[in-house]
Amino acid sequence: MRYLLRRLWHAVFLLIGVSVLAFAFTVLAPGNYFDEMRLNPQIAPETITALRAQYELDRPLPVRYAHWIASLLHGDMGFSFAYNSPVAPLLLVRARNTLLLTVTAMFLAWGIALPLGIWSAERFGHLPDRLLSWATAALLVTPDLALALGLLVIAVKSGRFPTGGMVSLDFERLSLFGKARDLLLHMGLPVVALVLSLLPLLVRHVRAAMAEVLNAPFLLAAEGHGIPRRVRLYRYALPAAANPLISLFGFSVGTLLSGSLLIEVVMSWPGLGPFLLEAILARDLYVVIGGVVLSTLFLVGGNFLADLLLYWADPRIRTETIA
Amino acid sequence: MRAARANCPSRPIVFSLLLALVALVPEVISAAPQKNSNEEWLVLPGDIGRPGGRLVVSLRAEPKTLNPLIATDISSREVIGTMQADLVHIDRATQLTEPALAKSWKISPDGLQYTLVLRRGLKFSDGQPLDAEDVLFTFRLYLEEKVHAPQRDLLILDDKPISLRKVDSQTIVFQLPKTYSVAERLFDGLSILPKHLLEKPYEEGKIAQIGTLTTPANQWAGLGPFRLKEYVAGQRLVLERNPYYWKTDAKGNRLPYLDELVFLFVPSADAQVLRFQSGETDIISRLGAENFSVLSRQPGDYTMVDAGPGLEYNFLFFNLSDPTEKTPSEVPQKQKWFREEKFRQAVSAAIDREAIVRLVYQGRGAPLWGLVTPGNRRWRDEKRPHPPRSLEKARELLKEAGFSRGAASNGDSGLLDSSGKPVEFSLITSSSSAERTKMATLIQDDLKQLGMRVQVVPLEHRSLLDRVTQTKQYDACVLGAVSPDADPNADISVWLSSGGLHLWNPSQAHPATPWEAEIDRLMKEQLYARTFGQRKKLYDRAQEILWEYQPMIFLVSPDILSGARKAVGNFRPAVLEPYVLWNVEQLYFKDDVVKATR
Repeated sequence: MRYLLRRLWHAVFLLIGVSVLAFAFTVLAPGNYFDEMRLNPQIAPETITALRAQYELDRPLPVRYAHWIASLLHGDMGFSFAYNSPVAPLLLVRARNTLLLTVTAMFLAWGIALPLGIWSAERFGHLPDRLLSWATAALLVTPDLALALGLLVIAVKSGRFPTGGMVSLDFERLSLFGKARDLLLHMGLPVVALVLSLLPLLVRHVRAAMAEVLNAPFLLAAEGHGIPRRVRLYRYALPAAANPLISLFGFSVGTLLSGSLLIEVVMSWPGLGPFLLEAILARDLYVVIGGVVLSTLFLVGGNFLADLLLYWADPRIRTETIA
Repeated sequence: MRAARANCPSRPIVFSLLLALVALVPEVISAAPQKNSNEEWLVLPGDIGRPGGRLVVSLRAEPKTLNPLIATDISSREVIGTMQADLVHIDRATQLTEPALAKSWKISPDGLQYTLVLRRGLKFSDGQPLDAEDVLFTFRLYLEEKVHAPQRDLLILDDKPISLRKVDSQTIVFQLPKTYSVAERLFDGLSILPKHLLEKPYEEGKIAQIGTLTTPANQWAGLGPFRLKEYVAGQRLVLERNPYYWKTDAKGNRLPYLDELVFLFVPSADAQVLRFQSGETDIISRLGAENFSVLSRQPGDYTMVDAGPGLEYNFLFFNLSDPTEKTPSEVPQKQKWFREEKFRQAVSAAIDREAIVRLVYQGRGAPLWGLVTPGNRRWRDEKRPHPPRSLEKARELLKEAGFSRGAASNGDSGLLDSSGKPVEFSLITSSSSAERTKMATLIQDDLKQLGMRVQVVPLEHRSLLDRVTQTKQYDACVLGAVSPDADPNADISVWLSSGGLHLWNPSQAHPATPWEAEIDRLMKEQLYARTFGQRKKLYDRAQEILWEYQPMIFLVSPDILSGARKAVGNFRPAVLEPYVLWNVEQLYFKDDVVKATR
């Protein structure tokens, strides 16, 4: 229990640290939201000064940070200059769309990577394994952007997939089955792009972790006892190889919010990606900070989850913390 | 020459439109069935459309608000433009004012009083009637200091606000503190707001928080052709036909024709093209030249329209402002060259504007020698010379100013100033605009031939604005701007030395040079001059001075490029914003087949 409390404590500290740094860095970035208005010949400089004062941009940093924390406790997460409304509702509705995409992609990617990695580890050094290694290496060096654009080209040429967005315009009028089909069709390309970008790393890790374990004496002994192959691999070898994979899983939970930003922009998925990109370029300060903090929350949460799983999976950690 | 040619295709169209308008008017008045003498609708010329259909348009960024009092971004303004209406409107095709909610206006002999008479029978999109009280209330909001409406500054002349009073429920008198040329143009874009919905939030001091996109549809109303139906965050905004709209076509059919107008949020230009190609959107606008030629080359069921150069002007300027404490020490040294008129004239003479049009805009633009673009039909100065690029002239000017070619102390050969220092400076530009970065690179190459060493530094847009407007940490900059209106008054803060957009040396307490003082005088005089002829003469003179001293070296004005499905009727892009949706009430689908398959 002490172990868990200590991890939780770390997480809170990390969040505070990140929010302070996010504040400091946004101040370092040159320019501010109201600069664009300076180029509008119809707006007087006095109006811009008044707006800056209204949004407290002229107040010292600690004061603004304190106000932001207060607003966070109210569930607002600060105020968006552009939308003239609290940040939290704006972020949450888009985070939901992002999670729909990334959670699906993550489960798919792990679902494929585990059997594929194990299969490859079994044939370690042989031709099928080498071919797979080449394939994953090729995928690994392909930039996400190229991947996404390539898929879009396929979508346009085939005419089967929508070229962006989350649902069709007629979505509301469709039957339940029609809605599901429409959503899946729209999710298809971005999910494939995400899976392809996640997959090679996962496969390689699974393969390496398994290959190390497969030669262990206890597995030879298991084979000698006549335990079937499947059981050997999944019941005996996989838990032994799980430690690095659990850490990796925790990390991939951490990237759920931020991992798909680029794909979302290219495929015009209405998630956090296009929203945060616009906010960064427009210097919509609190939206950017909110996005950073939310992503950190996921990272911290993912790591915490991984710690929990490790605690459960590896008896050594339990004994260590007791000692 | 090219400028004239580039503009030619659109001119006959406008003329014929004008002719058609003139020819139609008497007929229209008799043909339009006035069902009720209490209603005075505005009758629009143009093709008679068929009602129904849903038009889908993509927006690059999500609109931020529906509230005209706080909207400053393009997307919000575009959407608000289809939901709200103004008293007097600028016709985007003719660039002249026309009656809108006000059926007529009268100017007192001293030019200080504008008496506007509202149409009878006007109703907001929620069915509530409009009268003079709403107009008074609206202008109170615009003028209220605490609201910080961007429109407020337009309504303050010489530090004194415009005041207004109600004569009767249909008549309002606007009292100007000072005569102001074409004051009726001010009314364009000033949406008249519903008092019955906004009075309570105003009294509670919450006026800036209302009109968010999540506002329930029955709590928002306007006088525009469309009204709010549904908003899905990050995805789309759906508007529906306003059944109370106050315009009809020549046959008396109530406008708008369309049942629904959908704005899809598509975050990148390329994605917008894909959506248009695949038929998911019906209209595409604000297209880059490259995407335009791709779409024009590929056959499809759409028409692409090049409306000619708009009001965007791209220009190069040198930092002539007084050094601040943040200005790097080498800038004042370089400013000795920049302040030399002949230096700036030489740079201007050496720049190949035709090449920029060709290489950056694929020929879809016009070279520019002044702030007024060829798209501005009334105000461009036909007599302005359009000197071709001349390196000889540039070298001659540099020589006269004491520059010479030679080997610098580090051995490189290049242009040296009179004290033997090599001429070297950086040129900043916005990295988010691929066009301007290309322009800067071409200029770099042009100036290399004079022996100047120019480093092109693309900066993220806000950082660039920060350097130019705040810290003054730059040598030279390539920037673009779009005039908000065809009238010179819209650009007044560029011209006046006290203006914030007088970018080369902004917000001066006193004019830094005699010629800036002279421009100030001319521009102020035209501000209060009463006839177009007087104003044009003063304005032409100001343009002449700007050309002579070249504080801004004008480069090019890109064409306004857009496209629409062939089935969309009355599609007539204009060179004034909003380029395609300005006549959204008249847009219609030509046949049912297209609609059914969509």
